[in-house]
Amino acid sequence: MISNFLIIGVEIVVGFAGGLAVGAGFVAFLTLLGIIPRLIQLTRSEAYIKVYTACIIIGSIFGTFLSFTNVTWNHPELLLIIWGVLHGIFNGMLAAALTEVINVFPILSKRIGIDDKIVWLFMAIVFGKITGSLFQWTFFVR
Amino acid sequence: MKEIVYLRMKKNVEQQKYESLTLKDLAFISTTSLQKEELEKTPIYRVSKKDKNIVVIDSFLIIDHLNRLFPNIEIQLVGPPHTVVRINRTKKNASILLVSAVWLLLFIGAAMTIMNFHYDVSMQEVQQKLHYILTGKEEEFPLWIQIPYSLGLGLGMVLFFNHWFKKRINEEPSPLEVEIFNYQQNLDQYLTHYENRINDK
Repeated sequence: MISNFLIIGVEIVVGFAGGLAVGAGFVAFLTLLGIIPRLIQLTRSEAYIKVYTACIIIGSIFGTFLSFTNVTWNHPELLLIIWGVLHGIFNGMLAAALTEVINVFPILSKRIGIDDKIVWLFMAIVFGKITGSLFQWTFFVR
Repeated sequence: MKEIVYLRMKKNVEQQKYESLTLKDLAFISTTSLQKEELEKTPIYRVSKKDKNIVVIDSFLIIDHLNRLFPNIEIQLVGPPHTVVRINRTKKNASILLVSAVWLLLFIGAAMTIMNFHYDVSMQEVQQKLHYILTGKEEEFPLWIQIPYSLGLGLGMVLFFNHWFKKRINEEPSPLEVEIFNYQQNLDQYLTHYENRINDK
């Protein structure tokens, strides 16, 4: 009985510590990539930083709930489309931010001297991502 | 009384061939002195083959040189302390073949990395579970999530970089432009440190 409680106690500590580390890491990652500042800049909504912070936290907790739950709601497929688009935009921003962080474009433009065509190269990456993703879901995994 | 000459170095100067650079090529000056034109025409530095393609001219050299030639003026430096002279003898335009090759490289690279990323994070499984949670139906290929997701992926990147081909979404500089600017700034900083002869001694 007592050892049972002990094990539960250890589990709580391990789970909580793991969550703490992952949560801190996740926020650090988002901050490093600068997606939130970018969105704030695009929408000119500096006043709502606290709301966005809360969004990230609530969203993470909601995602955690979804990963461990077994419930099911009978929603129409329209919800899936909205969900998919939002997921895509977020991931697209992540991918764009990563490309930026590793400095691919500045170096490319310097090396081959195509400062004025850099936007075309960027579109190559955009279409590459779209095509790769569509190809994977419609042919590759089937 | 000495006449004051305000000297502002140009940050970057592009030079097509090896020739002599006058003060006017390297800096802006402002003065009440009648010698202004004479000052502007003073040759400062002769670019030669051994300079290869970058020379850094320190303002100290100019001040030193002018003090010797015009003992009656006093020079005040405003703005950047040196000028970076770049010599590109052949201003080449990138060939369309090269650009196409890079385009293809980036295209395939981007497609492959996103596919590997999706496998790495088991996105298919997550989407299957999500499909079940939301609609209550099991579906091995939840295309209703996956296709909008794929299109959104591109939209997100465009939003982040503020560019749709040549059209800008708003006037703010995009992170890409800021990044290129920073990169150039860092290169200049490195150059002004290591190519500046005054630092070498």
